[in-house]
Amino acid sequence: MIVYYIDLLRKNMKGLVRVLIFYLIALVIFDISLSRHEAHYFIDKFYAFWTVFGIVGCFLLIKIAKGIAHEFLSQNEDFYE
Amino acid sequence: MNSWWLHPALFFFVGALILPVFKGKAKKFVLLLIPALSIADVALMTQGVYGSYPFLNLTVTFGRVDKLSLVFAWVFTIMAFLGALYALHVKEDGHHIAGSFYVGSSLGAIFAGDYVTLFLFWEIMAFSSVFLVWYRKEQRSIEAGYRYLLVHVFGGLLFLMGMMLYYFKTGTMTFNTILPANAGVAEYLILAGFSLNAAVIPLHAWLPDAYPEATVEGAVFMCAFTTKTAVYVLARGFPGFEILAILGTAMTVYGVFYAVIENDMRRVLAYHIISQVGYMVAGVGIGTEMAINGACAHAFAHILYKALLFMGAGSVLYMVGTAKLSKLGGLYKYMPLTMVFYVVGAISISGFPLFSGFVSKSMIVASAHHEGRLWLMLLMNLAGIGTFLSVGLKVTYFAFFGKESEVRPKDPPKNMLWAMGLTSALCFIIGVCPRLLYALLPFPVDYQPYNLHHLSEMLQILSFTGLVFFLLVAKLAPEDKMNLDMDIFYRGGAWLFMKIDEKVISVLDSLWGELYRTAGLASLFANARLANGFDKGVIDGVVDGSATTVRGIGGVVRKLQTGRMQAYIGLALVMFFLILWLLLGRMGG
Repeated sequence: MIVYYIDLLRKNMKGLVRVLIFYLIALVIFDISLSRHEAHYFIDKFYAFWTVFGIVGCFLLIKIAKGIAHEFLSQNEDFYE
Repeated sequence: MNSWWLHPALFFFVGALILPVFKGKAKKFVLLLIPALSIADVALMTQGVYGSYPFLNLTVTFGRVDKLSLVFAWVFTIMAFLGALYALHVKEDGHHIAGSFYVGSSLGAIFAGDYVTLFLFWEIMAFSSVFLVWYRKEQRSIEAGYRYLLVHVFGGLLFLMGMMLYYFKTGTMTFNTILPANAGVAEYLILAGFSLNAAVIPLHAWLPDAYPEATVEGAVFMCAFTTKTAVYVLARGFPGFEILAILGTAMTVYGVFYAVIENDMRRVLAYHIISQVGYMVAGVGIGTEMAINGACAHAFAHILYKALLFMGAGSVLYMVGTAKLSKLGGLYKYMPLTMVFYVVGAISISGFPLFSGFVSKSMIVASAHHEGRLWLMLLMNLAGIGTFLSVGLKVTYFAFFGKESEVRPKDPPKNMLWAMGLTSALCFIIGVCPRLLYALLPFPVDYQPYNLHHLSEMLQILSFTGLVFFLLVAKLAPEDKMNLDMDIFYRGGAWLFMKIDEKVISVLDSLWGELYRTAGLASLFANARLANGFDKGVIDGVVDGSATTVRGIGGVVRKLQTGRMQAYIGLALVMFFLILWLLLGRMGG
């Protein structure tokens, strides 16, 4: 049953991607619509702060981690043997 | 003792000893009965101090029961039950016995009221858990187990030194909260010993070294108890230590950094423990009531979902024979239930609304924000991105979806599925009814995770991390590599020593051998010449008897030529003195 639904989603990849993009836009609009007066912390006063943080943070994390790994951290698996 | 109290560790210690008596179904029943009884025991406990005995000129306390020790006792006993269910199919008694001693000693450590008792259980933990690595019975595991043990013995010694100095300083062994202002060498040594078990960087490398080499079932136990016992003792002894706030936050980022680049599923998860324990250590370091609450809540939630993730990765390893992402892919078709349970663990750890991480991690992050520690808060949220990226997306995608691999496994045995199902249910229940968890915390909770701002914050972070993942997924393809870490200083040390041995010592050795040979042989030849000359002289001379004697000795020397350098040298010396004596005697005569 689980496999059936997953395969169904995989067959309709285009539709799925469209729904997800719509969801992301809705999320940003939802954040902008939130009342800024009740904000507990000052970061909550920025519009869509965590959207920008998520995109930039994730991008940097992948780039830096993979970069350093390729630079010197990665060794063959029998390095210590 | 003010009322009747039974130490829950007793169930595990006694259970471990009587376990080999049982066979078949009875054994499985006993395996589940032990943790079930201990859960009931914890449920019936009332707060107070029990089991205090005079020992030498100290007082040892086995049962300090308060809200802080109780919350850990709850999750430890629940986890022991889930772990036992997952390991029910294991045939070796020794594996179950090691597991029982490990859980029992962890419970002993969290109820200990003094350093002596704590140290006793602390060491039993290290020596019992190492068997969960060794029972894998592979060369790598045996080596990793020895390293694990040595590092923990080192940590134990730091603790012991600190404990002794503390006794000389204060005259007491009672284990209580230490104020940062009063901390000296003794306290910091104890802190270092505790930190090693909590995998605080740079003392963390034992964890991702040993856990991925443990048995499938052993890793599920190990990921729960060692680090969380350490979080408990840190929360008990060292709240408000600034160094913990900073190192803890550094751990959160450090752990996900490695989790992003690692290839082995269980090594990704092991590095991720460092990240998660980092939140708890940072919570302890921030030290407010809300932060300590957060650390305990996060320890509780973390034990469950991390065990769930290790169960999922362990099931893959158990059924496929490898947990390397580069060799997996498309498993959702063959292990759909494992996939679902793993995903529940992954979204719990990432902090999706309705799952346990959402209600526990956010307490610590919010407390950092509350105290105006903006950088700590931002770095913790960055680690949150890395969490979802590595454990949530990368592992799920490359193991269960992605390119189809050649492996065609099935879902694991029923007991493993049941254990994963129950743990998943607990993650969900805590996420939906956080009050159940908050009621167990040491301080009153004034925190509501389900507010619109928090919801919007988490959904934005997670969703846009997902977006970037799918844009950069090719960059994240797993590679058949290992990554250097702090263990290079002791693993690399052995390697360096071998190199020095190969390059320097062996050269010196052969040089020395050459010298030995040359000098030894030269003296032998010189002696032979001397003896020869003397022999001739004697034959030509007056005393025939002496000549015969020397010839006889020469014959003995020939027989004694065993070909061994030290024998030659020795013989050369003996002959030299003998000849000297004969010559001097002749001169004198």
